[in-house]
Amino acid sequence: MFLSLALAATAALSPTDRVDYNRDVRPILSDLCFHCHGPDEEQRKASLRLDTQAGAAKDGVVVAGKPDESDLIARITAADPDDRMPPADSGRRLSPAQIETLRRWIAQGATFDPHWAFVPPVRPPLPEGEGAPGAPIDRFVRARLQHEGLTPSPAARPESLLRRVTLDLTGVPPTPAELRAFVADRDYGKAVDRLLASPRYGERMAIRWLEAARYADTNGYQGDGERVMWRWRDWVIDAFNGNMPFDRFTIEQLAGDLLPGATLDQRIATAFNRNHRGNSEGGIVPEEYLAEYAVDRVETTSVVWMGLTMGCARCHDHKFDPLSQRDFYGMFALFGNLPEHGKARKIGNSAPFLLSPTPAQVGKLAQLDAALGNAEEEVARLAPVLEAAERAWTGDVPAHWNVERGLALRVPSETFDGTRFVESDIGTFEEKSRFTAAMRVTSQTATGGLVSRMDDDGDHEGWSVRLAGGHVEVGLSKRWLDDSIRVHTRQRVLLGRPTHVAVTYDGSQSAAGVRVYLDGVPAELVVEYDGLNNDVTSGERLRIGARGTGDRFKGRIEDVRLHGVVLDPDEVVAVAGKPRRAYFLAQVAAEELRAAPARLHSARAERQAFVATVPTTMVMQELAERRPTYLLIRGEYDKHGPRVDPAVPGVFGAPPVRSRLEFARWLVSPQNPLTARVLSNRLWQMLFGQGLVRTVDDFGSQGEWPTHPELLDWLASELVASGWDVKALLRTIVTSATYRQSSNAPAALLERDPENRLLARGPRFRLPAEMVRDQALAASGLLVERLGGPSVRPYLPDGLGKDMGQGGRGADKGDGLYRRSLYTFWKRTVAPPNMTVFDAPTRETCSVRTNRTNTPLQALTLLNDPTFVEAARLLGERMMNEGGVGHGFRLVLGREPRAAELAVLRSQQRAHLGHYRRHPADARALLSVGDKPSRPSADLAAYTQVALLILNLDETVTKE
Amino acid sequence: MITRRDLVARTAALAFLMGKEARAAEQVPDPRPPHFPPRAKRIIYLFQSGAPSQLDLYDHKPGLARHAGAELPPSVRKGQRLTGMTATQSSFPMVPSRFSMKQHGGSGAWLSELLPHTARVADEICFVKSMFTEQINHDPAITFCQTGHQLAGRPSLGAWLSYGLGAQSESLPAFVSLVSQGSGNPADQPLYDRLWGSGFLPSRFQGVKLRSGGDPVLYLSNPPGVDRTTRRRLLDGLERMNRMKLAEAGDPEIATRIAQYEMAYRMQASVPELVDMSKEPASVLDLYGPDARRPGTFAFNCLLARRLAERGVRSIQLFHRGWDQHKHLPKQLAGQCRDTDQAAAALIIDLKQRGMLDDTLVVWGGEFGRTVYCQGNLQADDYGRDHHPRCFTVWLAGGGIKGGVTYGETDDFSYNVVRDPVHVHDLNATILHCLGIDHTKLTYKFQGRYYRLTDVQGQVVKPILV
Repeated sequence: MFLSLALAATAALSPTDRVDYNRDVRPILSDLCFHCHGPDEEQRKASLRLDTQAGAAKDGVVVAGKPDESDLIARITAADPDDRMPPADSGRRLSPAQIETLRRWIAQGATFDPHWAFVPPVRPPLPEGEGAPGAPIDRFVRARLQHEGLTPSPAARPESLLRRVTLDLTGVPPTPAELRAFVADRDYGKAVDRLLASPRYGERMAIRWLEAARYADTNGYQGDGERVMWRWRDWVIDAFNGNMPFDRFTIEQLAGDLLPGATLDQRIATAFNRNHRGNSEGGIVPEEYLAEYAVDRVETTSVVWMGLTMGCARCHDHKFDPLSQRDFYGMFALFGNLPEHGKARKIGNSAPFLLSPTPAQVGKLAQLDAALGNAEEEVARLAPVLEAAERAWTGDVPAHWNVERGLALRVPSETFDGTRFVESDIGTFEEKSRFTAAMRVTSQTATGGLVSRMDDDGDHEGWSVRLAGGHVEVGLSKRWLDDSIRVHTRQRVLLGRPTHVAVTYDGSQSAAGVRVYLDGVPAELVVEYDGLNNDVTSGERLRIGARGTGDRFKGRIEDVRLHGVVLDPDEVVAVAGKPRRAYFLAQVAAEELRAAPARLHSARAERQAFVATVPTTMVMQELAERRPTYLLIRGEYDKHGPRVDPAVPGVFGAPPVRSRLEFARWLVSPQNPLTARVLSNRLWQMLFGQGLVRTVDDFGSQGEWPTHPELLDWLASELVASGWDVKALLRTIVTSATYRQSSNAPAALLERDPENRLLARGPRFRLPAEMVRDQALAASGLLVERLGGPSVRPYLPDGLGKDMGQGGRGADKGDGLYRRSLYTFWKRTVAPPNMTVFDAPTRETCSVRTNRTNTPLQALTLLNDPTFVEAARLLGERMMNEGGVGHGFRLVLGREPRAAELAVLRSQQRAHLGHYRRHPADARALLSVGDKPSRPSADLAAYTQVALLILNLDETVTKE
Repeated sequence: MITRRDLVARTAALAFLMGKEARAAEQVPDPRPPHFPPRAKRIIYLFQSGAPSQLDLYDHKPGLARHAGAELPPSVRKGQRLTGMTATQSSFPMVPSRFSMKQHGGSGAWLSELLPHTARVADEICFVKSMFTEQINHDPAITFCQTGHQLAGRPSLGAWLSYGLGAQSESLPAFVSLVSQGSGNPADQPLYDRLWGSGFLPSRFQGVKLRSGGDPVLYLSNPPGVDRTTRRRLLDGLERMNRMKLAEAGDPEIATRIAQYEMAYRMQASVPELVDMSKEPASVLDLYGPDARRPGTFAFNCLLARRLAERGVRSIQLFHRGWDQHKHLPKQLAGQCRDTDQAAAALIIDLKQRGMLDDTLVVWGGEFGRTVYCQGNLQADDYGRDHHPRCFTVWLAGGGIKGGVTYGETDDFSYNVVRDPVHVHDLNATILHCLGIDHTKLTYKFQGRYYRLTDVQGQVVKPILV
């Protein structure tokens, strides 16, 4: 942090240079003074603010042109520790260079400029001088190098360049054929176009976006149950591959649902802001988490599009940037207005979510919808015919006839005195999907269990029908209270009078799937709790006259029936004692009349079965009536301050916005100074390892000053001028001479600029986690390339997370083991260890900043994880069969090994071969790692070792 | 003048497992100096996940017997928010502990009959009975205890210590976590990687979880069919080629990578030695109890904690699950205490015998307390208790802590703190203090703000310090 400031700012300042407020002064004031003398009114000490000209001029704190008369200088240089600023207990201190900068700034007139990032970028003129003409990027970079007395490095070798750009744009290394073609024609532009057109480009671009969007396959709290969001992930891949303009990309993700005539895809896009974690823990207060979700959306959206740390303004005005707490809640109002529950579902998607058939499923679903519609219409059309036919029928219903569809059990009649119950076994009856329970009840007391399969434990696992204060109450539960459905009839049954009670449940795990009929008439239900995540299979026996073994009933229960189907209303009427219609239909009516309801049942079942295979996506959706938003005092969900309307933070002077859509449109409008810069900077980070503004997530006054401000603004204006064409901007960057430089660092250059901030050489840094794995799969030939689809489960260590109480399924078989890493099932509380060890973020929160470490755990992973050992075996096979150790080297590194390198590889191969010839059992053991079959031999084992060495080379895990 | 914070922020540690941050500008000595001379060189935190009942273990309320089954007076509850699990409960009958409590040691500390072993070391311990938090649910509350914030994303206590103090060990990680499953409530609250994660700190500061099954450290073992000689051969070839690359590219990262591969190779020997208990004398194993011979138990982990401490590991973070007694508390709690009581006491005795207790801070505690009122149906011999953030008990011993002290007090219902409240931030500030760190000065700049473990709060609890 310090180093780059030194490079960019004060240290580079010679005594005659003009002090730039933004570059040189603001970082000092912000870091050391604004905390107590900045925008936050509550925190302000001595009513002095140093972030505005007026504030600083007050009481002679800063006297323009006269440092010696300025109290500021007096206080920061005071000898007495009690007078000196910043105070000792702040732990902050000004360096002599910083003091000198402030002194000079005052001497030069103490001008305050608005923070650079809040001023819209203006396309800067291209620097003249040596190196011009040339690509604009190179002219900006060379101008700075010239100023620093440095020269650019020579161009990288073609092989290095092709590997660099292929990894950068597609995430996998070039094949030998691609390398040959490039070395032959040296047509770099053609190669870049080929890479940008590859579907791998979308996969490569998507993963950074997934991390920014905190995308994962689980809910992220406590038990961390699964969710289904991959349709959004695939939307992102498709959007990048189709080179969707970034303004549209923005609008659709933030507000696609609000676009006129929003398509399924545009609504799926809004899942961006439902990717945050969801808490389903039993005891939570839902309002608290409603607030947390909205906060997460505000923070994520601010960081991703604006590079702003809005989160600081949740509890108080921002201490460093002109962002007020009111600004924060203005955005909160935009992103908190959806029909969601604070309490998420434990397993699966939480409302609002959308049935999201894949393009391949759309047709079939439409067909089933149509079939169901037709069947319903048919039944409705025939209803009067049926009624007339029934009226015309003069026969009688046989005495003991009744509905038999799905009948699993019938118990004639029992009387209960409040002390006993009866038990029954019901064989293979499976209530988990759907069922009907019906009985005639004459109760002497208002409360008591009617029929149940439920345990007595506090969880009430199972299902029950009971009277509760006269209401018929239905409970379905895995664990009361947080994994249950409970509903009751608004109406009460009369004591001492027989009432027929029928309950149907359609297996949908929602209260809407429960119906209760009283005397054959659907009853209005009150939902007490609607949060069932599991099936309700119970090991308990069926009990009549009790819930579990308690809650015993007093009265008479007759004709208890259990059906393993959801009975139709007509059928319920029949079991309630009026079987004439059902009998007529089942036994007497013409074939045409009988067939219609049968077709309806099967159409319904078929659709239900298919819909179970169709993914859903959690999406954004507006409440019909806007939920009022209040400023939350200290950010606490239950401490309401004044009401706040939706708004863009005031500092931007934006016109009023009333919706997410207007906000999204403002984000990509010329009035917003940030989005184009922030995106250009992140793309730069992706290619060069660090942004021009290294704090990619903070463009505020605490962020770093850009190393090349004009270049950043040029890139931003180029991006906007191109119609937000991301591929075009990437093409511009990767075809620059700056990008194409060799990454080798001569000692003098390394000493001068160890972090390559001045860009006098090409980028060289460790590959991101997913690329380390994908490259090994690609080079070994294991990679299974297929765009999109449900997430997959590659090798994971046995029992990972088990000791933490985190469940998880085992690895896939077959293709799922070898897909690109962006498809790996991501469990947030126990993220894939071979990804996080290479600094992949956990996806619990938004992450846009690249972190790179270099640890022994990485060595252990690359040497011993079955992923890499199996890849080494397959790469070994290719060497053995296709062209020896040099071929393996080429497959991974995309270049010819030099003689000395080849010598090491060959001597390794010989030595390992000797060992494995002497120890054939070891060879068999090594070659048994991984699911791909192999034909063990000492030869293959030796090649496998050589391949493992190649996969572990520094150059292999590095982009250079 | 370059401040310490500047130094720390741009500097990499040499330490094992921590690796190096890419392109570190400069090295500082590691271990790094604390802010002031520490009393403790290391911490063993015995975290009891799920929230143990203070009422049944430590917080003696003899007067409760009179109120058995009576409703909790609203004057005590004071509108306290309840969890969604009991908010709909129609009555809140108070339930005294069914376990007896006695005073122990010269200090007369009150302890439940379920903790006979802890009772024997009571004079080494400081019991803080006035802990409180704002969190009423497990995930946010545990995350708060370990990271100072209820939501994911902040560094854990051990990560802060690694960042602030560096590593002492050249052969083991600076921060190790160990987990065990309680017998009391096998379906209890799960744990999350974030509890030993590095949050926004570089990932080299994160804790390494030692596993009880399979490789103690993930991917530690060579693949089958690869012996140590074969691995050495590969590493020798790898190093030769990496050195060629270093000569050509000049990137110091390559030198670091070469060193990390050597460290990995050494670790393949040192970690198995660490977890091999075969050289521990029977008397020591017996001290920790029968479970000490079973990997994955709390007792085994306590013994392992001592071995880690001996080998210079700075932060040793145990998690024992199973303390969430919403129901069947009497039976479950007895099981949890059988799991933990003897081994926790043994750890103190063992450390003391080895002269290590003085510079090892031991902390025992969970994420919140439990309610005086019964959750679910109150029965003659069975009851449950819901989450209770307003008071709970933790204990500390060793490095810098006064033994034989009881600090803080709750009301007659163990519902509200009435004297010397200690917030989780205060506890964390105190822990850092014992390790020589001023909690207000250990900061890291992220997204423009200087973050710290205790956010903007935290007071060191001076009266419990030596």
